[in-house]
Amino acid sequence: MALPKPNKKLTGSESSYLVEVIKGMVITLGHVVKNIFDQDRFRTIEYPDVRKPMTPRYRGAHRLLLRPDGGIKCVACMCCPTVCPARCITIVAGENPNDPAEKFPVSFDIDMLRCIYCGFCVEACPKDAIRMDTKIYEINAYNRQDMVHSKPYMINLMDRLKPEASEAYRADHTTAPAGHTPDEAPVAGGHLG
Amino acid sequence: MPKVKVNDVELEVPAGTNMIEAAKLAGVEIPHYCYHPHLSVAGNCRMCMCETDTPRGPMLEIACNMQARDGLVIRTETDNVKAVRKSVMEFLLVNHPLDCPICDQSGECRLQDYYMDHGKYDSRGNEAKVGKHKRQDIGEHIMLDAERCVQCSRCVRFGDEITHTGDLALMNRGDHTEIGMFPGMRLEHDYQGNLADICPVGALTSKDFRFQRRVWYLRETASVCTGCATGCNIQVCHQEGEVFRYTPRRNDDVNQSWMCDPGRDRHVAIGSLSRVLRATVDGAPSADAIPELARRIRAAGAGRVGFVLGTQASLEANWAMLQLVRANCPDAKVFWVAGADADAIAKSDTFLMDADKNANTAGVKLLAEWAGNVGDAAALRAADLALLVVLEDDVVSRVGEVLAPALAYLGTQHNPTTAAAAIVVPVAHVVEMDATYLNRQGRVQRARRATNPLGEAVPAYQALDALGAALGRAPGTRMPVATFLAMARVIPRLAGLDYRGLGTNGKLIAPATPAAAEAK
Ligand code: SF4
Ligand code: SF4
Ligand code: SF4
Ligand code: SF4
Ligand code: FES
Repeated sequence: MALPKPNKKLTGSESSYLVEVIKGMVITLGHVVKNIFDQDRFRTIEYPDVRKPMTPRYRGAHRLLLRPDGGIKCVACMCCPTVCPARCITIVAGENPNDPAEKFPVSFDIDMLRCIYCGFCVEACPKDAIRMDTKIYEINAYNRQDMVHSKPYMINLMDRLKPEASEAYRADHTTAPAGHTPDEAPVAGGHLG
Repeated sequence: MPKVKVNDVELEVPAGTNMIEAAKLAGVEIPHYCYHPHLSVAGNCRMCMCETDTPRGPMLEIACNMQARDGLVIRTETDNVKAVRKSVMEFLLVNHPLDCPICDQSGECRLQDYYMDHGKYDSRGNEAKVGKHKRQDIGEHIMLDAERCVQCSRCVRFGDEITHTGDLALMNRGDHTEIGMFPGMRLEHDYQGNLADICPVGALTSKDFRFQRRVWYLRETASVCTGCATGCNIQVCHQEGEVFRYTPRRNDDVNQSWMCDPGRDRHVAIGSLSRVLRATVDGAPSADAIPELARRIRAAGAGRVGFVLGTQASLEANWAMLQLVRANCPDAKVFWVAGADADAIAKSDTFLMDADKNANTAGVKLLAEWAGNVGDAAALRAADLALLVVLEDDVVSRVGEVLAPALAYLGTQHNPTTAAAAIVVPVAHVVEMDATYLNRQGRVQRARRATNPLGEAVPAYQALDALGAALGRAPGTRMPVATFLAMARVIPRLAGLDYRGLGTNGKLIAPATPAAAEAK
């Protein structure tokens, strides 16, 4: 397909370019001068020591919620794998004979390499069993397998969000510790169980 | 034939046609719960209410209990009808649990479908719902959740009219009405799976399919059950190459809306450990099983090679075997062995389950009658053979002995014949190929390919085509459509048939001629 030609004719000064370049430099230098006198204008966040507060609606790593009695809220209804546009949720349903909820996910895996963080799974869930409110955005691992978040991993993610856990979590989550091997991958990206 | 009018469509229907069926002919779907084409009319759900003209003016009547008569006019989309449907939905759902997330019916549930089509009211339910007994194991194949029941009584009528077991009943009154088993009873018949099919909601669900897969993932392929000579019409429900269940497909001339539980269970064999997946020669996996078989056939000498047609194999596969023999080794002997053992007869009845557990005995008889010179089990025992090529049937168990110094077997499952066979060639299961079978009525029915053959399997007619090619002359049976046409061209009883003509319900063929029957 041929692209349409821009039909705006350049004026004389524009076609020489030099004037336009100087105009641009003036704007840039203006900001430099302003920033030198008002340093709050450019805040470089000293990540990972300092973290940017995320908005409440930020969609981070998924977590699976528990009921007050400790059982998993998810009933393996399959709404989230059905709605997921990336087809990255794999659930194996099973029967829990001791639970009035009857059905539960024997396994619940999300392939975070394929997830597009659309949040449809959260919207679709009739049980409020899955949320992306963890604000965790460092989702990484040393191999593909560890990028598949499992049910125990996503349940434990809740503990990390508790106030008392958050310090420790942040401490070891800021950067990969030295000598960190995939097998003991303690944080985002590893199977914990 | 009376002329009736459904909305603005005038049509003639056979006298006595029920108006739900008449409307269907006119292309109008009347929502209903309790009506079932193969059960008596109960008229208790009131969902099928339609407006009709009476001497007292337009009135609402239930369509399921209205029979076509001349001049009958029904309107299915008036405001009145719509209001009634909405109210019926509201009543049905007043005490209904919010179980959809864990309910296996979800996705094929008439409460869900009709709520979206005809309900969509704002809930006014402030009171606590009436609780009932959930998760009841009432039979080998069925779970009952009384809370989800809409009291349509289909299952009760099924027990009274089809199985004559009278095991389910509606008990108590008003909103405490509850479906249940008579005390101390369990479902004991072999048609339990049908209860899960006819229950329009998730009250009766299948234990075998329980939580296996959401139904909206499943694709359906029209096929036939090869569990016995009846050949019930079925849907194969599969997803991504895995078969999850068989459900009956309506064919009023064969199985109405039903099928038996042993038939339903048959899909388990497709991907089971007993499946033959690799070709073997003398017990070792081999890529050249077919050329090797051709070599051994030649080495044995045509006069001492036998071929056994398969009563479990399709018409196409049996035809391929006959053509292969005719083209390459006309001196070879052809046999067929009937299979009906004591267990099979015990597991049979006068309804659907036939004592002959082979789908294509009639087909083999038809081909044998046409080809002539096909020996039976006694002839097979008496024959002096160096090599016997067996198509699908477990001939060793049927005859009770290993019949030749060497056996070659084309089949799907491991059995005593595979154990005895020197060469085993895996072939496709019925859900993995297009093929036809002739049932006990003499009806040619089509099975359609739903999934890909597992392992090294190919359809038997293609394996035999390859064997023919290795022997020198391929029988030309690679393509099932053309194979069937070739058969129909030369076998008088199949004359004029082709795959398209068989349709979804199959075609009855002419009965065997008396002369041929006498000659046997
Ligand atoms: S956020 Fe979107 S892509 Fe990721 S798992 Fe949920 S539905 Fe799938
Ligand atoms: S939608 Fe919710 S309840 Fe359903 S499977 Fe997903 S997480 Fe579980
Ligand atoms: S019967 Fe239908 S409406 Fe009721 S819980 Fe099951 S799927 Fe939902
Ligand atoms: S269990 Fe199902 S079939 Fe039986 S009465 Fe209830 S809704 Fe109808
Ligand atoms: S279908 Fe007519 S009343 Fe139920």
